[in-house]
Amino acid sequence: MSILANKDTRAVIIGGVAGLNAAKRMAQFDFLVNRPLTVQAFVYPPEEGQQKEIYRGGELNNVTVYGSLENALAENPQINTALIYIGASRAYQSAKEALDVKGIKLVTMITEGVPEKDAKALRKYALEQGKIFNGPSSIGIMTAGECRLGVIGGEFKNLKLCNLYRPGSFGVVTKSGGLSNEAMWLCAQNGDGITSAVAIGGDAYPGTDFVTYLQMFENDPETKAVVVIGEVGGTLEEEAAEWYGREKRRIKLIASIGGTCQDVLPQGMKFGHAGAKEGKKGLGSARSKINALREAGALVPDTFGGLSKAIKQVYLELQASGVIKPEPELDEKLLPVLPPSVQEVMKQGEVIVEPLIRTTISDDRGEEPRYVGYAASELCEKGYGIEDVIGLLWNKKLPSKAESEIIKRIIMISADHGPAVSGAFGSIIAACAGIDLPQAVSAGMTMIGPRFGGAVTNAGKYFKYGVKEYPNDIPGFLNWMKENVGPVPGIGHRVKSLKNPDKRVKYLVEYVTNQTTQHTPCLNYALEVEKVTTAKKDNLILNVDGTIGCILVDLDFPEYSLNGFFVLARTIGMIGHWIDQNNQNARLIRLYDYLINYAVKEEREVPEKK
Amino acid sequence: MAKILEGPAMKLFNKWGIPVPNYVVIMDPDRLAQLGEANKWLRESKLVVKAHEAIGGRFKLGLVKLGLNLDEAFAAAKEMIGREIGTSVVRQVIVAEMLDHDEEYYLSIAGNRDGSELLLSNKGGVDIEENWDTVKRLFIPLDETPTIERITESALEAGFTGEIAERVAKIASRLILCFDNEDAQSIEINPLVIRKSDMRFAALDAVMNVDWDARFRHADWDFKPVSEIGRPFTEAEQQIMDIDARIKGSVKLVEVPGGDIALLTAGGGASVFYSDAVVARGGSIANYAEYSGDPPDWAVEALTETICRLPNIRHIIVGGAIANFTDVKATFNGIINGFRESKSKGYLENVKIWVRRGGPNENQGLAAMKKLQEEGFDIHVYDRSMPMTDIVDLALNS
Repeated sequence: MSILANKDTRAVIIGGVAGLNAAKRMAQFDFLVNRPLTVQAFVYPPEEGQQKEIYRGGELNNVTVYGSLENALAENPQINTALIYIGASRAYQSAKEALDVKGIKLVTMITEGVPEKDAKALRKYALEQGKIFNGPSSIGIMTAGECRLGVIGGEFKNLKLCNLYRPGSFGVVTKSGGLSNEAMWLCAQNGDGITSAVAIGGDAYPGTDFVTYLQMFENDPETKAVVVIGEVGGTLEEEAAEWYGREKRRIKLIASIGGTCQDVLPQGMKFGHAGAKEGKKGLGSARSKINALREAGALVPDTFGGLSKAIKQVYLELQASGVIKPEPELDEKLLPVLPPSVQEVMKQGEVIVEPLIRTTISDDRGEEPRYVGYAASELCEKGYGIEDVIGLLWNKKLPSKAESEIIKRIIMISADHGPAVSGAFGSIIAACAGIDLPQAVSAGMTMIGPRFGGAVTNAGKYFKYGVKEYPNDIPGFLNWMKENVGPVPGIGHRVKSLKNPDKRVKYLVEYVTNQTTQHTPCLNYALEVEKVTTAKKDNLILNVDGTIGCILVDLDFPEYSLNGFFVLARTIGMIGHWIDQNNQNARLIRLYDYLINYAVKEEREVPEKK
Repeated sequence: MAKILEGPAMKLFNKWGIPVPNYVVIMDPDRLAQLGEANKWLRESKLVVKAHEAIGGRFKLGLVKLGLNLDEAFAAAKEMIGREIGTSVVRQVIVAEMLDHDEEYYLSIAGNRDGSELLLSNKGGVDIEENWDTVKRLFIPLDETPTIERITESALEAGFTGEIAERVAKIASRLILCFDNEDAQSIEINPLVIRKSDMRFAALDAVMNVDWDARFRHADWDFKPVSEIGRPFTEAEQQIMDIDARIKGSVKLVEVPGGDIALLTAGGGASVFYSDAVVARGGSIANYAEYSGDPPDWAVEALTETICRLPNIRHIIVGGAIANFTDVKATFNGIINGFRESKSKGYLENVKIWVRRGGPNENQGLAAMKKLQEEGFDIHVYDRSMPMTDIVDLALNS
């Protein structure tokens, strides 16, 4: 036996993520006591139609989110209680709808910060229909061994520590949520645990009151004593005292009332729950509540700490008088153990999981990202630059100062090449079509390939091959290329030639050879090749892709990383073009007819389909 | 509960047709001269100037001046604005028409669980407490509006007669409308005055509390509630409130000058019990504090540092019940960081720290707290098996 919630309770949760978290906790309890899932449906219009994954032990359940309570009930007519988690501005409407459902007798509101007027109206509405509106600001309701509504009881371990897997003899009613958990623990530690525990919330006008629940406990034969935790403000505790003192009650009453400190505080200084406010002329003071309860025969210790002894005393008395028969303690080892997640088991070294991917460059599991072991902020602090990060992430090495300078120049020189080239033009067309930055830049990026910017990798690769296989035999290398590859990547330019050299190439070659001590076998080789090819044709010069590729090979970057430099550098330019077009509010463009040769068939009639 | 200042209260009265005297709220005395040019009542009426701040006992502090002409009002405003009272500064004054009147009445309404209660007396003014037995009460059930006839009946019972009873009833009906529609918790008009020559009424002074939780449905609430603790907030309290407004969960602080036992306690219910335990054992608290609803660790860290800076503290009580969902490890991490930071700044010397807590990840949280002993903290850590408030006993007996 129990009050409010039991094995047959089936709940709908109205609200978003807080409700989902509660449902997960509730399912842990369902697993502990081996009952079916308590939460049968969610109502949350923004996520209508979604399924939420809820584990009951190791069993995965999918619980549907509905757009309305009506729809949730239509598919789940077994629902008989509602938990309101939705925000304060919608809480009233949601609770009222739930109270309107014939089969729902209990509505518990977890939502905090609900206007008093709404809470008062809901209380009245529920009373008129003979239903219970519990809350707002309730942590929930717990019936040991049977049902958990809300996160009351905390983590799984605590459910066991508080003996919540089987009924005891104590009822609990509190205003505070945290203290409901504390009280359940005290009943388990000093007695045999609880039958049911209810948190009514600390607002000024809770939807229910102590008396309602005391009466329920009085009618529940399994409950032998009740722990009430109240506080200054309102008159619910006085009403409880009045109820308890009115006639001989079967249940023993133990109480603790918070707020006696307010007697000695500077005048007007009040704190605690919204409802913890003393009225005029001392009405609702903690002291008056304590006195009323003591006069009515309740056991009220001096401080909260004294509750332990009080509960123990009542428990021993009830045992001595035979009201409570001691039950053999359950062996905790027989209780189910919550299946751990893979991460937890791995931490304990009890399972081996083959990793799905492997990384060798970076790790953000600590306080900040580390690149090949170096903390990003430390690199910044010690004067390293973006070139060094490239060196680390692309080649797992910190470049020297001289190498960094070269990398920097390669990127600076390749960052943009005007609007006419394929990449920039692609981004510009996309920008003009109103496409967002990442997609427009990707449009330009798509152009990078064998004919545009994508020759760096192959140039580096083949010149490196030449250095190795044909060190002193340029004609042999060119011959091999002709037979196996085709035109030499990195050689040749559409407009530039020996007489009209590419300024960028000249600068890079000059910088690397004259201003650094960098050893450049690959670049030297390519320049030798150029001598041979330009002798054949004026424009078969070493182009910028070839130059960059060779230098990067000389800097010991892996061949397949080389196009990355062009991609990275040109991204800067493409983003620039996108921003530029947006700044100008550029309009959609299309090709003029005169730029197109319409080499198409004459107009003609469509034949009948045969 | 949120008390609001007279200015915003008058504005709401105006909105609902409750007669108020002419008034202006100013921050700069020079503005009064300009307003005087525009408003005849400022030039021709007797005026009252009051500090428009949440300061108790304004009359005694000279922050209320009566019976002034415009020039005198200017001088009074100039004198009041910028005055420092304790930790707060007078930034605004309200200048209102001091209506010559024949009688003072009392009119108030306050919410209760089942609705609200209207209170009426024809013996209002400063002596209302003495005349409390003349007050007539009318209970108004939730969702019901009493008829004007019913209110008039109450007015007659309260000793009002003839046309005045009818007019008072009319004003009361508007007060009920204002109360209901503005999510008020209580409104007290004392005095409501009448000048019989032209039957003009005015609410000369009013205290209004609104339900701050209902602000989402009041687009025109352009005011902030004033301090509920009987004095303006201190800088530290204000800082914690600012953090509280930004986070999931909450952190709260009230300073209590003179105490030597600092509280760094969790949960709205448990925190009060810790204060009680200190008082019950003859100690005096240096503050009230509360963190709840699984707040982020940095917010708890800020609260911790603020508490460590409280003057003359000898003990810090890091107490709490067994949490339902507040992560003990994470929140304790914030507290530990706050302790370390405070210690490095020279605080916490000769301060004993007492810890009792349970809840999610309690073992890790308590173990981390215990490790502070190795860093030279005088810290005593207990788990759930220690009765909740008994660490207060241990602290006071140490």
